[in-house]
Amino acid sequence: MTGPESPFESGSAGLQVTDLTAIPTDPPDDIWYHHKVRFVASIKLLWDHREIMYTLAERDFRAQYKQATLGVLWAVLSPVATLAILVVVFSRVRAFPTQGVPFALYAFVGILCWSYFASSLGTGGNSLLVNKALLAKTQFPRECFPLETMLVNALNTVLSFIPLALLFVIFGRAPRIATVWVPMFMLIEVVFAAGVTLAVSSLIIQMRDLVQVLPIIISLGIFVTPVIWPFTIIPTHYHLFGGTEVHGHWIGGFAVNLQVIYGFFNPLGPVIAGVRQTMLLGGNPSWAPLCAAVVGACAYLAFGYRVFKRFEVNFADIA
Amino acid sequence: MPTLPDGSIHVEHVWKRFRADKTVPLFYDQLHRLGRSIADPDRRNYRWVLKDVSFDLEPGGSLALIGINGSGKTTLLKILSQVTYQTAGTSQVKGRIGALLSVTSGLHPDLTGRENVFLYGAVLGMSRERIRQQFDDIVEFADLQDAIDRQVKFFSLGMQMRLGFSIAAYLEPDVLLVDEVLSVGDANFQQKCLQRIGEIVRSGTTLLYVSHDLASVEASCEQAVWLSDAVLRAKGPTKEVVTMYRTAVEQNSALLTAKEGVVQLLKAEIRAVDGGQLRSECEVEVSLTLKAPERANASFFIGISQGTAFPMFVIDHQGIMPAGEFEIHCKLGYLPLPKGHYSLWTAITGYPKGKRDPYLPWQPVISFDAFGPDRMEPPEGVMALSPVYVGATWKVS
Repeated sequence: MTGPESPFESGSAGLQVTDLTAIPTDPPDDIWYHHKVRFVASIKLLWDHREIMYTLAERDFRAQYKQATLGVLWAVLSPVATLAILVVVFSRVRAFPTQGVPFALYAFVGILCWSYFASSLGTGGNSLLVNKALLAKTQFPRECFPLETMLVNALNTVLSFIPLALLFVIFGRAPRIATVWVPMFMLIEVVFAAGVTLAVSSLIIQMRDLVQVLPIIISLGIFVTPVIWPFTIIPTHYHLFGGTEVHGHWIGGFAVNLQVIYGFFNPLGPVIAGVRQTMLLGGNPSWAPLCAAVVGACAYLAFGYRVFKRFEVNFADIA
Repeated sequence: MPTLPDGSIHVEHVWKRFRADKTVPLFYDQLHRLGRSIADPDRRNYRWVLKDVSFDLEPGGSLALIGINGSGKTTLLKILSQVTYQTAGTSQVKGRIGALLSVTSGLHPDLTGRENVFLYGAVLGMSRERIRQQFDDIVEFADLQDAIDRQVKFFSLGMQMRLGFSIAAYLEPDVLLVDEVLSVGDANFQQKCLQRIGEIVRSGTTLLYVSHDLASVEASCEQAVWLSDAVLRAKGPTKEVVTMYRTAVEQNSALLTAKEGVVQLLKAEIRAVDGGQLRSECEVEVSLTLKAPERANASFFIGISQGTAFPMFVIDHQGIMPAGEFEIHCKLGYLPLPKGHYSLWTAITGYPKGKRDPYLPWQPVISFDAFGPDRMEPPEGVMALSPVYVGATWKVS
């Protein structure tokens, strides 16, 4: 490293010819580049580039409906179509007790929450690959790509609330006061989805096999998540050992709250349960699994961001 | 780290390597490498594309990166613009970077020109507010007033390029990195771009410019860096580096008659008729000794180029090519060349020209120096390749 007083000494001199024999075959050990990840600095940088994220999201949103006769109207029409199918199919089916709530409504809330996660992961996971032309030529923070697709999906999800309102009207119901909690649940979902999407997008670009595997995992995910089954079937007191049974209840021994454990690993469970509980039934959500979901979602985000930043160095070279 | 003023570039011992074989899946490759690195840490499967490159550039300076394809120029630009990272060493660019690595990759084909101005502007680092202010200027510079509301996929490649470059032309960064982006587009627009680059440099922006067009390099940059085979071969004033580069490139390609025809070239010579140095405006004679397998009607071509790309002038002569060894003497009454380093080209084809292969394929055969006054600098930009008419007398025996 040259001193601060003379960084340009070589630049202003005349013709300099390199002695080719003086170049070693490998760089000396002390100058190898180590990619340092400073979280605060990179989040600040991301914030400075938020406009790019909005612009890219606008690009995707507009391009989605270009040359379609109905244009942006499709953003509302396609969830309505999904809804119509749901109403027809589930108006007769009653797979489990829904506490008086019409099944279509009950299921649609679950599907709404799930489809945001699924589409974020689906498009966000591939976002680095899709944008590789930009990735290899421009220099803004790479997180913009997966996060931008999440923004587009968020917009689409918000538009899906229009058919949801329609459904409330059809069934002659109104959302309960407790619906004010819903944005908080959504925030948990966004944090969780961001963590998974960041990690997956950075892995997918290194292992293209995942492009094929991802849709399979996503379509399996809908069964693992309480979309068409109630979260409450997961026991809150699962007795591992000990205790005695008295009038059909276990007393004493060692029991775990499986809802909490599930909530940590899949924050979507408590989120969907919470939305249903507040919006449809007007009750208080069960807080223990939700707290686990918050912790879980934050853990996913921290891990996902770490993974993304760790692999970031290679993106432009392997894209 | 030294604290540098905005607009300066500092590159110190930068190394960069890529995976040697990109067709092998990365994960598989990494498993293998892990295995190998345990067994034998020295035999890792990498290929160096930059080795120990160092240079500095002051704020407001202009520097050209020259070198043949694959010499590492673009990789170096990508490292400077932080698109990719170096394997070892330090690279610092102070201030706002405007990196123009490709003019069309930021454009989305499904969006209109107008939407793309905002998209690409943002991608290159302009704020929406700035783009709104400059929008009319950008469209006017691109000369796309009529097409701006059309989808970009219905633009021609040249129009896309004009749109891309025009957006970048209004970036106003502290450091402008330009990679070989002007290769498409008509001559008029190229000239306009070079003028714009000149304006940007005069306004105090640092310029790093990659191009194969040595004439435009000489016109727009004070300093040059020559990269060859991952190594920085020379740096310094543009003229000297470019001369060195030209000489080296010609030495490579002028070990000549790489393309064989049925006619063999035994000897080629260019000399002044009065026996002195080859000077501008003097009378010169080109002498070629060749060997042909058969007698034939033929066209003989002679041309002279600066560098090895395109001849500055070509002259031809129709006649009978004798069988066996024969000589061509061609007298040029007037050598229309300024001081410089040139190549002599030649070819022999059948006459009238049929579908047959040429007897001797068109190629540079020797290089030579001409003495005389320096080439005149054009007042603006570029284009050293001006076609010239030269009268000559031929003798084939």
